[in-house]
Amino acid sequence: MNKNNKLCKLENITKTFPGVVAINDVSFDVNLGEVHALVGENGAGKSTLIKMLGGVYRPDRGAIYFKNKKTVFTSTCESQNKGISVIYQEFNLIPDLTVAENIFVGREPKIFGSLIMNWKKLNSDAKKILEDLDSDIDPKKYISDITIAERQMVEIAKALSIKSRLIIMDEPTATLTGKEVKKLFEIIKNLREKGVSIIYISHRLEEAFELSDRITVLRDGKKIGTKKTSDTNESEIIEMMVGKVVKEYFAESSTKHEKKEVVMEVNNYSVADYVDNVSFKLYKGEILSIAGILGSGAHHLLRSIYGAIPKKAGEIYFEGKKVNINDPRDAIKLGIGFVTEDRKDEALLYDMSVLQNLSIIIIKTLTFLKGLFIKAEKEKSVFDRMKDRLDIKFSNYNQKVIYLSGGNQQKVVIGRTLITNCKVLILCEPTRGVDVGAKAEIHKIMRELADRGISILMTSSELPELVNLSDRSIVLYKGKVAAEFDRETMDEEKLVEAQIGQTSSKIIK
Amino acid sequence: MIKFLKLYERFGIFIFIILGSIFLAIASPNFLQTNTILNIIAQGTYGAIVGFGMTFAITSGGFDLSVAAVMGLTSVFLSLLIPVLGIPLAIIISLLVASSVGLVNGLIITKLNVNPLITTLAMMTIIRGVSLLVAGGRQIVISEKMFSIIGTGFLAGIPIPIIIMVVLFIFMFFTMYHSPFGRHVSAVGSNESAARISGLNVDLIKIMVFVLVAFTAGVAGVIRTSQTLIGIPTMSPGFELVAITVTILGGTSLAGGRGNIWGTLFAAIFISMIYYGLNLLNVQIFFQMLSVGTVLIIALFIDGARNRYLESVRAKGIKV
Repeated sequence: MNKNNKLCKLENITKTFPGVVAINDVSFDVNLGEVHALVGENGAGKSTLIKMLGGVYRPDRGAIYFKNKKTVFTSTCESQNKGISVIYQEFNLIPDLTVAENIFVGREPKIFGSLIMNWKKLNSDAKKILEDLDSDIDPKKYISDITIAERQMVEIAKALSIKSRLIIMDEPTATLTGKEVKKLFEIIKNLREKGVSIIYISHRLEEAFELSDRITVLRDGKKIGTKKTSDTNESEIIEMMVGKVVKEYFAESSTKHEKKEVVMEVNNYSVADYVDNVSFKLYKGEILSIAGILGSGAHHLLRSIYGAIPKKAGEIYFEGKKVNINDPRDAIKLGIGFVTEDRKDEALLYDMSVLQNLSIIIIKTLTFLKGLFIKAEKEKSVFDRMKDRLDIKFSNYNQKVIYLSGGNQQKVVIGRTLITNCKVLILCEPTRGVDVGAKAEIHKIMRELADRGISILMTSSELPELVNLSDRSIVLYKGKVAAEFDRETMDEEKLVEAQIGQTSSKIIK
Repeated sequence: MIKFLKLYERFGIFIFIILGSIFLAIASPNFLQTNTILNIIAQGTYGAIVGFGMTFAITSGGFDLSVAAVMGLTSVFLSLLIPVLGIPLAIIISLLVASSVGLVNGLIITKLNVNPLITTLAMMTIIRGVSLLVAGGRQIVISEKMFSIIGTGFLAGIPIPIIIMVVLFIFMFFTMYHSPFGRHVSAVGSNESAARISGLNVDLIKIMVFVLVAFTAGVAGVIRTSQTLIGIPTMSPGFELVAITVTILGGTSLAGGRGNIWGTLFAAIFISMIYYGLNLLNVQIFFQMLSVGTVLIIALFIDGARNRYLESVRAKGIKV
């Protein structure tokens, strides 16, 4: 391949964050007019890599060449000016401005010595760009009034309006419907013909194969390899993505699940836009994982069962009785506990101490004088028991919870729920943002809880966690059950395949 | 610096009070007399009492601008009800009326999902309007002289308003720090979604907080009316600002989650000291208004500077 053919080249890029090497010695290049797919599990380093191209991060080591010139992007603005546009999953559009204003934000055409906006030109220019994309979105519409797919189109139009040579798309199809995906693909193919290069990031392999010229696989911050799409196949890529799962630090599953007693039964459950008619049974003392990539509905299903978001349809039977859960309070009363995936926004009470954070759910019961006042000794003794059980490390009772490490914060959040003596524990991403040691501890705790007869319903985007921890796993894809595995049939490759929609009849047992 | 800030958070207001006392002791030979001190504290009771309620509101992440209007409403109801129902029943019903304003505030904020600032700002003018309407636009003289005991009487040599304030302080202190309700209020102000996920009835907690604020405003209204023996629909204009100043100056974080009842008590006394000092210096009345606003801005600045500083320290990875 001719050297001048390269639009962009990354050489031996390394980027570390405190405690982790996010990108380790990765080299990567994009040709002119090429669609280059970037695939890998969660945490493989895809986002970090593109953020360096987008000017959000700067690499610690290594060099970036753009148009054959060594370049350092110090800001998103600079990278945009040089011709790179990144379309992130959460769009960078201003909802209260119109489509046209968003496309030309900061570069609006003006008249009278740039004092007054040239609305006519703004709207007609926007219309022209959108027409080039075969889109009939009205440029005068507000962003808040258009669909997700249309917003994506606006992002692409914006990228084209600044004459981007390289457009990076991060999971562009996660929230699109089948028809919209088709349209997006056409646009991508058109752009390629016009000589625009595209880095396409997706969990869905079939998309990578349909669109790309080359595929690069990242795993644990390292580049595993780059393949010409025509020279490879899906199973080879999946193998590269998954690698060998390290089994050591995982708690062994106890094998004593002979007599099965159903604790909770979920029938024909639907959550608007996310979960479509899902049914499953949860047995006593098992760890059942609901697996699925972003947009699969796994999180929404669990949140809805706990009553944190409303359901659309479906029934829940808890210990044989039909129950109505409309609010977390209902779930807690029944004995269902919930640990959110978003510790920062939905769990930690920043201004309060470790002690107060742990006892918040049950504080009403640790009282005297008919619930009027808190019994301090009782609160402390309950706390001490949970602290010993979960091995929470802190300096004193009044220490604010934000000053604990991620692992200890997570233990506090888990402890807060366990203290209610729940029978079913729902865990969303139980080890997100905790270090390796705490991770192993949390896994051990989960296994112990299950052995004691607590049923755990969890979801995780970490493959090893899913494969090694769960007794059973139900995979959701676009809101529907795509596959089900138990200990015997569990296989990481098949699990990945099911998660990314490669379900063929041979997988569903 | 971190230590100093922590110290300030806890005792900041004491530093102000000590400095103020030294100044006043030098400026006025009368200052260090029991009567003067009791007088200053008595003048600070309204600020403290309404400040207690406001402390709860701000701790829960809310705000109440309608307190002064509620005082006026209480005053009007007292003046109309005392001749008909007698003193005790009139007080009870007036307090119920005051609390019901809080209930309405709370319901609008939680069920209709309206911003507390705007809701209570609107309620402020609505309640003033209602008060004027009920009173027929006049001030109503209360002829029952017995009623003045509440505001001007003494018990064991201590002014009754101070006793009411101390009783309320004890109640508020235990409620804030030693009751499940206080914990819930802090949790809601600290992280509302976390409180919701933890199964707390966030709406109910907020409604109760607004009822509590309105109740404290009612109590302040009763004391004030008893001192003047007149039902005044336009009572204490701008008093909401005093209540907020007292709360913020006392160390309650405007961001919610951290309430400081002790601080509120002493901040109210400090504001009262400023008034006394200004009187002493024969300063005109409008300088008093000016001073409250200035103190609020200084208190807000300190609150903001403290949070920013702690944030920057934390960003550097230093444990606070």
